[in-house]
Amino acid sequence: GSAPGPEDARDQLTVFHSPENFTVKHPLMNKWTLWFTRPPNKSDSHWSDTLKEVVTFDSVEEFWGIYNNITKTSDLAVKSDYHLFKVGIRPEWEDIANKHGGKWAYQFKERRSVAIDELWLHTMLAAIGETLEKETDREVTGVVVNVRKGFYRIGLWTRTVGVGGEGKTSKEARESLLEIGRRFKEILKLGDRDQVEFSGHSDSALAGSSRAKAKFVV
Amino acid sequence: LQLKTSSEPALPSAALTALRSARFIDDINKVAYPPSILSPNPALNSNAPNGKFKYEKDFLMQFQTVFTDKPSIDWDQRMRDTVGEPDSARPMPGGR
Repeated sequence: GSAPGPEDARDQLTVFHSPENFTVKHPLMNKWTLWFTRPPNKSDSHWSDTLKEVVTFDSVEEFWGIYNNITKTSDLAVKSDYHLFKVGIRPEWEDIANKHGGKWAYQFKERRSVAIDELWLHTMLAAIGETLEKETDREVTGVVVNVRKGFYRIGLWTRTVGVGGEGKTSKEARESLLEIGRRFKEILKLGDRDQVEFSGHSDSALAGSSRAKAKFVV
Repeated sequence: LQLKTSSEPALPSAALTALRSARFIDDINKVAYPPSILSPNPALNSNAPNGKFKYEKDFLMQFQTVFTDKPSIDWDQRMRDTVGEPDSARPMPGGR
């Protein structure tokens, strides 16, 4: 043929070239599953009755199809949560990927003034775009937004609590977690005086979730 | 006798059909985006293994108004079963 470039340059129509006839899509590094927790009601026998798997996806295009057609966080009822986790990991402390881990979290106490939809969207984009951590960290298991009566909270769950092992010194492991915390804080557009806190899930379980002592702060 | 006039759509939209049949990009730095589109930062994927890419927020945000269709034929039913009734008053993405 007389085509100037390689054949696939012509074939590679993205959604930007043609929203209805695109031929290539943007893969994500991981498959992700979106989960939803609805507010509990009297017929629930266990907390897990309220947790439902919504959808699993592996492309940028599909993420936006989901995001554009699902209830915004700011429209959810109190006691609802969205959880976005790597496929195969349940958004629960008991999951094997989470049980030795913890979370970075920040509570937004001014529900009315915080741009929660934007902050949660940016958190999800950082997760699926894999810009929360270095490839070698393999810490992030998922991200969560909680809608509560007096606040919103966004969390980022990690596989470890920064103690080292598996070829990492405890100093390296701690530095990985701190760097993830700093990136997370930036995504949440927090200022110098705001503190994002890290706590281990097992500490939280022992102390009751709201009274866990922060292990790290950024 | 009740006849359903508006049944669940039996056919996927063109965008959904494209989504299902599209191949995954295998070399992100070889995609020729339209001039108006900010390409992914090549430094972010300089030593990316095949098909494993990172994407920055500014790149990802460009898709928001481009892929707006429901991601599956049974999406409305799935929403009713999980997140709850869709808010019918919601404007299109990007609106207020």
